[in-house]
Amino acid sequence: MRLSISNFEAIPIRIVPDRPWRTIAFVALLLTITAVAGWEIHWRSFGAKPGARNSDGLWASQRRRIDNGEGDATVIVGSSRAFYDLQLDIWQRRTGRRPIQLALEGTSPLPFVEDLEKDPNFSGVLIVDTTPDVLFGAHLKRANVLNYFHTEMPSQRLSQTLSVRWVEPFLAFYDPDFSLSSVLERWPWPERAGNEWPSGVRKLNEIAADRDSHLWSKVVDDAEYRRETQAAWLQAIEHGKNRPTTAIQQTIGEQIDRMSAAVNRLRARGVAVLFVRPPSSGPYLEFEERTYPRAETWDALLSRTGMPGINFMDYPSLGSFDLPEWSHLPQRDAETFTALLIDIVQREHPALFEALRTDDSSVAHKLNAGLPVEGGACLAPDQQRVTVAGNPITQAGT
Amino acid sequence: MFFNSLSFALFFVCFLCVHNLPLGWTAKKINLLLASYIFYAAWNPPFILLLWISTLVDWYAADRLYRAQKPAARRLWLALSVLVNLGMLVYFKYGEFLAQNLVAVASTFGITLPPAHFDIVLPVGISFYTFATMSYTLDVYRGHAPPARNFLDYALFVTFFPHLVAGPIMRPAELLPQFATPRRATSHQILFGIGLVTLGLFNKVVLADTFLATVAEQVYDGTAAPGWLDAWVATCAFGAQIFCDFAGYSTIAIGVAMSIGFAMPGNFRLPYAAIGLSDFWRRWHITLSAWLRDYVYIPLGGNRHGEMRASAAVMGTMLLGGLWHGASWTFVAWGGLHGLYLCGERVVRRASHAFRPGVLSLALAAATTYVLVHVAWVFFRAKDFARATQVLRGMLGVNADVKPILSSYQLATASAIVLAVVATHWLMRGRTLEQVVARTPPLVLSVFWAAMAVSVILAQGSDNAFIYFQF
Repeated sequence: MRLSISNFEAIPIRIVPDRPWRTIAFVALLLTITAVAGWEIHWRSFGAKPGARNSDGLWASQRRRIDNGEGDATVIVGSSRAFYDLQLDIWQRRTGRRPIQLALEGTSPLPFVEDLEKDPNFSGVLIVDTTPDVLFGAHLKRANVLNYFHTEMPSQRLSQTLSVRWVEPFLAFYDPDFSLSSVLERWPWPERAGNEWPSGVRKLNEIAADRDSHLWSKVVDDAEYRRETQAAWLQAIEHGKNRPTTAIQQTIGEQIDRMSAAVNRLRARGVAVLFVRPPSSGPYLEFEERTYPRAETWDALLSRTGMPGINFMDYPSLGSFDLPEWSHLPQRDAETFTALLIDIVQREHPALFEALRTDDSSVAHKLNAGLPVEGGACLAPDQQRVTVAGNPITQAGT
Repeated sequence: MFFNSLSFALFFVCFLCVHNLPLGWTAKKINLLLASYIFYAAWNPPFILLLWISTLVDWYAADRLYRAQKPAARRLWLALSVLVNLGMLVYFKYGEFLAQNLVAVASTFGITLPPAHFDIVLPVGISFYTFATMSYTLDVYRGHAPPARNFLDYALFVTFFPHLVAGPIMRPAELLPQFATPRRATSHQILFGIGLVTLGLFNKVVLADTFLATVAEQVYDGTAAPGWLDAWVATCAFGAQIFCDFAGYSTIAIGVAMSIGFAMPGNFRLPYAAIGLSDFWRRWHITLSAWLRDYVYIPLGGNRHGEMRASAAVMGTMLLGGLWHGASWTFVAWGGLHGLYLCGERVVRRASHAFRPGVLSLALAAATTYVLVHVAWVFFRAKDFARATQVLRGMLGVNADVKPILSSYQLATASAIVLAVVATHWLMRGRTLEQVVARTPPLVLSVFWAAMAVSVILAQGSDNAFIYFQF
């Protein structure tokens, strides 16, 4: 005989306290809306505007494009300089194709080059930002985004879609710089002796849904905010000075070894790579030159990989901008910089320019076939300008 | 899908709309089952197959063993259920751990085996739903519960989305009867349920993720040797973090279930107000403690066979409980420490059964409990024994060449939250949340509710996983 389930019932009892819940909920909702609206007004008056959130989910949505039929696209990897200084609208206007922006602030491009090297779907052109302290100093602020991308769950993708459509276009305060912890952390807490960490750099950019980004106008127009940013850079520079020289040199060597190995494998697959050194100025440039000398970093990288590179120091037009906080270009200048950069590519690396314009990966294959092998032993037969060991070698165009 | 995500908000609104349509109870249960599968598949769709295997095997095994006349046949069907469930658990959760230990043991005998590398993703919640399904077969085998009336109710018992991935671990007798009759929440239940969800989100998103997690990470995941202040603040921060994270999850789960008319048991009862370790385990992860008591400790003999056997049963149960939390010897050490604490407490209680403690003795016992629990948390949080030792040395103040790791902002916020959590536990000791709410003026409740909701919104937390999902 079957036992009756009622003999075994042990249903938990949950009591709802006897309170006027409708009134309580209504007042709570009213208070919540009022407080959030006040917070939104505060940040809008500070200069913030609603826009896409610079989240891991947004990055993953762009990275996914490579695996969803756009594997032949031009892809930008690097740190905030490539992120803010390369303007996708201008790039598209000049080449006819809109690149995929995968650069991340404070993050070395190396793990991303290695990741793309392992992705057989990628066959396009890779633009690699070589901001010295980030690439050669192996800064990995947001490198975990790769893990996020490879393990992203369907529910996270859905949350990202909902956020992009229903939250981000309406809320200016929905930005990590205006989060509760960021605001509290910026209070003037007393310094703890021996724990003088540099204060983080504040919001620097605005971003669109495809990660097209530019320097926030507040950095340019608001003198106090600009000074705050400069002070943060000075602190970071001071902190960076404390690293022992041997450790820095070892890190530089390791980064170049890994980058050249990854680039060689990409080249073997027909992917063209262009290294770009965006401009910097003032104390930031001094720090970079002193800690990451060009001969040991940029020149060594190009020599080892045999890939072309465009360094702002080699072109007066690229080095003529006024950088408000020494590290990034204002939006208008970034547009000019992007246009000039593509002009240089067109003029000095015509085959590469063709690869940027076309979705025919055989162009990149042909281009790579003529590039020097590791060590920079031979020069490109298609008469490209290749920078070797600090000296730009210009060959006559065909 | 995570409770603290926009996708869950959309999912739950859609589910509530269908749940409140004028449909028959069976149709609503089918909606609940489909919603639960979607909830689980949103993590990793292929793993839903494991859920189905576990569901089908236990349904069939329990039915067959219930009908079987011969004890041997009954034992065979029970063994099938336990083997399949534990087999899945061992393969996915402990496969790499076992292989690594096999390689290590072999190497001590001079045998070189290839390094063990399992590239296996742990199916979320597997430890929870295998325990739930096993309890069904075990209860039917022992005659503690009858089989479910039909497969739909049983599938819902396993899959019911509020408790599926991180508990509270419910028994057949607690949940199955709730599917027998139509359930619909009143407006007060829905609103109080949403209030509980807000409280849970505040615990998880604001306290655990925004303020406490980074403090524990900075000390435990770094390489620098911590001084006593950093070590203690980080450890206490982790103690508060794991409470806010897991109790937050349980509170959300209870609130979600309440707003669709179901009742779930509490999983935490103000654990940092515990006096003694056995008191702690009556307050911490209550449904797991009860599961281990009923299915491990009592079958091992419990306290029926003398003191030595009882202590061995306690140690066995706690070591197993430690291993349940993760495939690492540090979790075993955590469980072992708690086992030793409990055995030690039994000795002390036996030796002082005539002693009637005063306020001072109770305060001392409470402080000792708090410290011992947090010493054990060091092994739970540290990624290996080397780091655990370094943090423990820091807590004792014997690390050399220490430099401050945490900023004054981190010290201040973490300390304030830890104190607030402990103070709340003591102020509410002996009372339930419902009793406190019933005595609080409505306006104060509104302000609290709004403050928690605003904090959750302003914290801008991303959908971070709950700590217990990894178990």
